[in-house]
Amino acid sequence: MMKRPLVFGLCLFWALVTLFPLYWTFVTSLKPPTAVNGGPTYIPYVDFMPTLQAYIDAFSGIRGDFINPFINSALIAVSATALSVTFGTMAAYALVRFEFRIRLGSGLIFAAVAIGGFLLFNETFGFSRAQAMGLAFLAALPACLIANRLPLPGPVLGNKDVLFWFVSQRMFPPIVTAFALFLLYSEIGKEGFKLLDSYLGMVLCYTAFSIPIVVWLMRDFLATLPVEIEEAALVDDVPRMRIFFEIVVPMARPGLIATSLITLAFIWNEFLFSLLLTTSNWQTLPILLAGQNSYRGDEWWAISVAAMFGIAPMIVVAMLLAKLMRSGLTLGGIR
Amino acid sequence: MAYVQLQGVSKAFDDVTVIPALDLEIADTEFVVLVGPSGCGKTTTLRMIAGLEAASGGVIKIGERAVTDLRPGLRNCAMVFQNYALYPHMTVADNIGYGMKVRRMPKEEIAGRIAEAARILGLEPYLDRRPKQLSGGQRQRVAIGRAIVRQPDVFLFDEPLSNLDAKLRIEMRTEIKNLHRRLNSTMVYVTHDQVEAMTMADRVVVMNEGRIEQAADPITLYERPANTFVAAFIGAPSMNFVPATVIAKGEGLALRLDDGSELGIPRERWDRYGAHKDRPVTFGLRPEHNAGGAEGEAVITMTARAIEPLGPHTLLIGEAAGRGYTAQVDSHFPAAPDQQVPISLDMTKMHVFDPENGRAL
Ligand SMILES: Nc1ncnc2c1ncn2[C@@H]1O[C@H](COP(=O)(O)OP(=O)(O)OP(=O)(O)O)[C@@H](O)[C@H]1O
Ligand SMILES: [Mg+2]
Repeated sequence: MMKRPLVFGLCLFWALVTLFPLYWTFVTSLKPPTAVNGGPTYIPYVDFMPTLQAYIDAFSGIRGDFINPFINSALIAVSATALSVTFGTMAAYALVRFEFRIRLGSGLIFAAVAIGGFLLFNETFGFSRAQAMGLAFLAALPACLIANRLPLPGPVLGNKDVLFWFVSQRMFPPIVTAFALFLLYSEIGKEGFKLLDSYLGMVLCYTAFSIPIVVWLMRDFLATLPVEIEEAALVDDVPRMRIFFEIVVPMARPGLIATSLITLAFIWNEFLFSLLLTTSNWQTLPILLAGQNSYRGDEWWAISVAAMFGIAPMIVVAMLLAKLMRSGLTLGGIR
Repeated sequence: MAYVQLQGVSKAFDDVTVIPALDLEIADTEFVVLVGPSGCGKTTTLRMIAGLEAASGGVIKIGERAVTDLRPGLRNCAMVFQNYALYPHMTVADNIGYGMKVRRMPKEEIAGRIAEAARILGLEPYLDRRPKQLSGGQRQRVAIGRAIVRQPDVFLFDEPLSNLDAKLRIEMRTEIKNLHRRLNSTMVYVTHDQVEAMTMADRVVVMNEGRIEQAADPITLYERPANTFVAAFIGAPSMNFVPATVIAKGEGLALRLDDGSELGIPRERWDRYGAHKDRPVTFGLRPEHNAGGAEGEAVITMTARAIEPLGPHTLLIGEAAGRGYTAQVDSHFPAAPDQQVPISLDMTKMHVFDPENGRAL
């Protein structure tokens, strides 16, 4: 009986620890400059008179354009989340329901043809880098698909290895790929196809980097769904695609919502890729927030307003999705 | 014509062969029950017919059509699963109608078939409910409704009643049988419950370790089991098996048990067992072909260890001739635990098996 108050106390303590920064940011955004510069103040109306001046300044554009980065962030995050959850879930479904057998040899052939082809097209035939890359890829893909059907020596990889490959994409520091991606985008840009500082470039990049997480999360979730339900549909001659969209997706709703939320938060907060791949047109909110400090000095009330722009949408989305998720959890398989 | 034919169908998972070449013919409109102990390959066989599992070898035909390499949807089978496998996010009506909707049937026809199935299965009050809001028996009826509206060549049932309580199981048993009579279609039904098998089937296929031990109508299976496995599996309580030797006695034959008692073999069997004179055999007799007391012609002494009154009769469970033995006696037969009692055997119902391979002689 002594345990309950203790657990409750600990939970309360931890809630305060996590909520305090949110409170502090919110309160600071309402402070007049004098309430910040003269040492810490905590409670509005008691310690200081709250003011909306910082918000008014922000909307009037005194501290740079907030609205555009906000819209950019929202557009990019929502699009990339939708794409990565869609394709990642499909990939996860395939990994759960079908058995893949991939020869390591065919993977090596892909690498060899891709690199060799690039060098050949670029240096011997004089194609530009981007063109050589595209051609080499077009040659490598069928080559490895054909090679996979041949009885090559060497190990055969299964679904577990494919999953590991997906997850491994997220194991090295993102800066490694960020530079490569920057070079890739700028080479493609030289062909007149603009990816740097563009909507498409950002969405593609975030989609690619979110898919591993989606695959990883959704694979575990889909594996818990009873296979008989899909088999009943198969016997009834329902095409695979309809089984996926009309039966699996509704059953997987709680998992899809949770995964979307995690992906959305990841993309919304992402900093490094945006820093490297955008300049002005498609700059996202995190870049803007990071730049606040150097823009006009330590004006914490204004910086807090900017932070609120970053935090508020995620809180709203999280609450909406959590509600959806709870109603979805009551579905699930029928035993 | 929707007969089902398995010719040399086998199944191996990786290197493990779970079904060696299996031959089975199921006639049009026949109700066949596959029965056998857990893990004997009943579900695997059914899933191979449905196309959910690829056969490792052999040919599967459904009504003249070789379907071995056809995907499940093209085989025109309907399957009812043990766990119902209803679509949890759809109402009962949508569950039943979904397949037809996918096949783009006209709306009126879909509605008509749903209504018809609901009427047959008594589901009319529940058409707007979700599966979660139904009882187990209702869910299974929805699953059966989904199968009916398909108007399939073959119905496949995989232990559809095993998640239901005993009373409901008996009700649904009758319902499925009635359904078979009404629809007059071919049905393959898997169960490990031998009572279900006996009561429902036109023909029972007893399987063991992927092989068919015997396929016959229920009465034949009961009266003339092909081997000790079938003899032991069919009938409850299980048949008694006692080692014995066929000996000459007078002008006829008898069985001598290990305890020295001799049991006369009825005259009409003398020809059949003559060739086995002086050879060891396994003598089999069902518990219900025993009676308490020494009034009969063949009498053994049994030590009763447990006495189970069932109402209409009582079971004595114990030993005779050094083997476990169960006898069904009159409810008022006086017996007490650990007591030796005389038991009369009805030798016209006797079975004799080869002790080496278990085959009936
Ligand atoms: N996917 C699989 N991979 C490997 N072995 C399997 C697989 N499915 C079934 N088996 C094996 O095949 C054998 C037959 O299984 P099956 O499910 O057909 O048995 P069953 O007769 O239906 O048993 P039960 O009465 O318990 O349902 C079992 O030994 C089982 O372990
Ligand atoms: Mg089974």
